[in-house]
Amino acid sequence: MSHPERSTTTVTVTHCTVVGAADPLAAAELARACGATLDWVAELAAAGIVEAPAGRPVQEWRFGSAELRRALETRRLQREFDVGLDAAALILDLQQELRRLRAALAQHG
Amino acid sequence: MEFKDYYSALGVDPKAGEDEIRKAYRRLARKYHPDVSKEADAETRMREVNEAWDVLGDKDKRAAYDALAERVKSGGGTGTGGFQPPPGWDEGFEFHRAQGGPADHADFSEFFSSLFGAAERRSASRRNFKARGEDHHAAIEVPLEFALTGGEREIQLRALELDEQGQPQWVARTLRVNIPRGVHPGQYIRLAGQGLPGHGGEPPGDLYLEVRIAPHPLYMVDGRDLLMTLPVTPSEAALGAEVEVPLPGGGTGAVRVPPNARPGLKLRLKDRGPGGHLYLVLELALPPADSDAARAAYEQLARATTGFDPRRRLHAGAGAAA
Repeated sequence: MSHPERSTTTVTVTHCTVVGAADPLAAAELARACGATLDWVAELAAAGIVEAPAGRPVQEWRFGSAELRRALETRRLQREFDVGLDAAALILDLQQELRRLRAALAQHG
Repeated sequence: MEFKDYYSALGVDPKAGEDEIRKAYRRLARKYHPDVSKEADAETRMREVNEAWDVLGDKDKRAAYDALAERVKSGGGTGTGGFQPPPGWDEGFEFHRAQGGPADHADFSEFFSSLFGAAERRSASRRNFKARGEDHHAAIEVPLEFALTGGEREIQLRALELDEQGQPQWVARTLRVNIPRGVHPGQYIRLAGQGLPGHGGEPPGDLYLEVRIAPHPLYMVDGRDLLMTLPVTPSEAALGAEVEVPLPGGGTGAVRVPPNARPGLKLRLKDRGPGGHLYLVLELALPPADSDAARAAYEQLARATTGFDPRRRLHAGAGAAA
């Protein structure tokens, strides 16, 4: 990318966490990370794209990195292709299978 | 800076209707999709396509862009420094961030950010829009050894900063991040407050870093585990052996190959991966039959194992088909 540097500041970051079991994302945080709403997160759960605990209110849901990735990819698919969530769920599964197969192929030379 | 031709980025005529532009965008989004694209520069092209769609797919932005393009065509607006947005060019327009994405704008060109990126923020502050800043996304690639041990890492980002007048500008920024040990590909690191500035005095958003591990000549990363091919001779595989292997992160370790080990067998070294294990996948390496002694040894092996037919499965298959 050709961006002229206007200024560079070095910031030492003291606080960072790995999104996972120890530091999960709440549903509202997942929504914000994807530029979406809580309702949208509930729709993802209904479509089986992310897992949510049955019968618990959305404020209690917690998500890790894998779910964040799937949610971001879903948002991208919706933006680029306007797919419905059921089709997005299938595409995500196919992408996962593709990654798995490519990794297996690379392993066996 | 250079004036971007968004119509040619999407391969459409400047007079094209909304539907035609949308179709062109969809076609290109499919062509440059990372999972299936055969193009070498797919990621760069996808960024350009997304940027063009952000503008041409929005009535207001497209109208403002067309007006600017007119000025450029009639010779205005371009000096020795290239294109400069004339003052008040966005007057009368209300620009909104496109729906449905994380802060993709960070990957957009300087042309976009100094025009539409800045105008979006001006529109928002005119509406007295108050909201926490959007989250920002970036990827960080680290060498495998680094993922295993953790440590500090500097990354270069484009960040949106507001000057004293509250005018937005994209600046180059260096962040020093403490990567925890054992991060594996697919994980996200969250840096609170390092996202885009808030609107109307609200706090900034967060920064999410997707962790990628640079390809390594020996090891292949498979989620939390590492895989490495372990070549062994037929004698070592058949009779069993103790072999030395290089370990990720340095040093060597001894591994026991069990007798009658077949190719493809996986041996596990516990906890040698980034949050997982190191798997050694056995592969046969034939000693070359390039001396009398070696050839004699191979011939003797053949005589001692005449009962073994490696192609038995093939004959059985042919018989079944007939």
